Amino acid sequence: MALGWAGLYGPMALGAIGSMIGCSLAGQAAAGALLETETGHGRYIGISAMPSSQSIYGIVVMFALNREMTPESAPGLAAIGLLCGLALMFSAIYQGRSCASAINVSKIRPEIFGMSLAPAAIVEGFAVFAFIFALVLSAGVPA
Amino acid sequence: MSAYYTLVTSLPWLPEKMQRCRDLPISRIALDRRLSLLADEDKQRLQWAEALYHRFASRISLQPDQDWVKEWQTLCLKIDSAPLHECILLRLEMQTLLAALRYRQRDRTQAEHFRGIGRWTQRIQQHWQEPLFGLEGAIPYLEEMGKLFQQGLSGDLQTFMDDYLWQDLLRVERSEHFTFETVACFVLRFGLAEQRLQSDADAALTYFATLSDDLMQHSGIERQLEQMFEDFS
Repeated sequence: MALGWAGLYGPMALGAIGSMIGCSLAGQAAAGALLETETGHGRYIGISAMPSSQSIYGIVVMFALNREMTPESAPGLAAIGLLCGLALMFSAIYQGRSCASAINVSKIRPEIFGMSLAPAAIVEGFAVFAFIFALVLSAGVPA
Repeated sequence: MSAYYTLVTSLPWLPEKMQRCRDLPISRIALDRRLSLLADEDKQRLQWAEALYHRFASRISLQPDQDWVKEWQTLCLKIDSAPLHECILLRLEMQTLLAALRYRQRDRTQAEHFRGIGRWTQRIQQHWQEPLFGLEGAIPYLEEMGKLFQQGLSGDLQTFMDDYLWQDLLRVERSEHFTFETVACFVLRFGLAEQRLQSDADAALTYFATLSDDLMQHSGIERQLEQMFEDFS
């Protein structure tokens, strides 16, 4: 039962932890870039907020999994919730690192700004997979 | 191991090719201010790395080679980062090879008196009489170095060596992700660029003219010369 509750709150908590770390990494990089550039400050700060989406996905998954906790539903909630949470957490951290690299290179060559964001967007895609399929599978967990 | 996201992105850009570096993008004072973001132990490691890498530029000393080698070996042991250690070793080995070529050119020199640092010192002593110490197959840059040395093109040789080191540092800098090594390699490249720009012939001439003007004014020689001209006329 305890694992069931962990699975219910897991996507939200783990997603938030990942977002904190990811936004912090990208935010630190953005802060450094502000020192070295004259313009484009807004977009650096904008990129550094990209890993926050995983927290939102976590909240939605948590609500989708929210149901009466019974011995029948707990294993399913634990498995889907914890695994989805871990996927969201790691994707947020690595997205933060990708964003930091994007900031670093687009500081030197602003014209490649869009292209440099591609790795971060791909990481976001995997977070979306984890999110969508957690929603799909949550329908199968006994109420 | 600390990650330096803010510091790395706050560092200015240095070109991929050293020849394209016409001026320094930031002063040393401003760079040092940014490097204050480093942790204390990393600051110390950077100081050691710089001392090893750029020692030759300020080496005006009568200290025997043997003492220098001991000092370098002690400092080298303190560099615990493998990629940075490799970069510094390349620099020291390059300098050892150049020193060997120069030392051999002198009269009455013997292999056993030669001192150097790195993997090749013993091999240099064993193959002292061979043009490139039998190392041309093992060291990719040695053939070009030897050619430039034989032709007496000291300036070109220095440029070639600096270029090679620059590329090596750039490779390590790019392969690391916001780590101390990224920062250290940048600072070492900055040092190479600083030395190169300081050794510019035109800049040296301008500096010499300014210095001599200052000296003339301060020592009163100029006034004395003017007085002498007036007396003669």
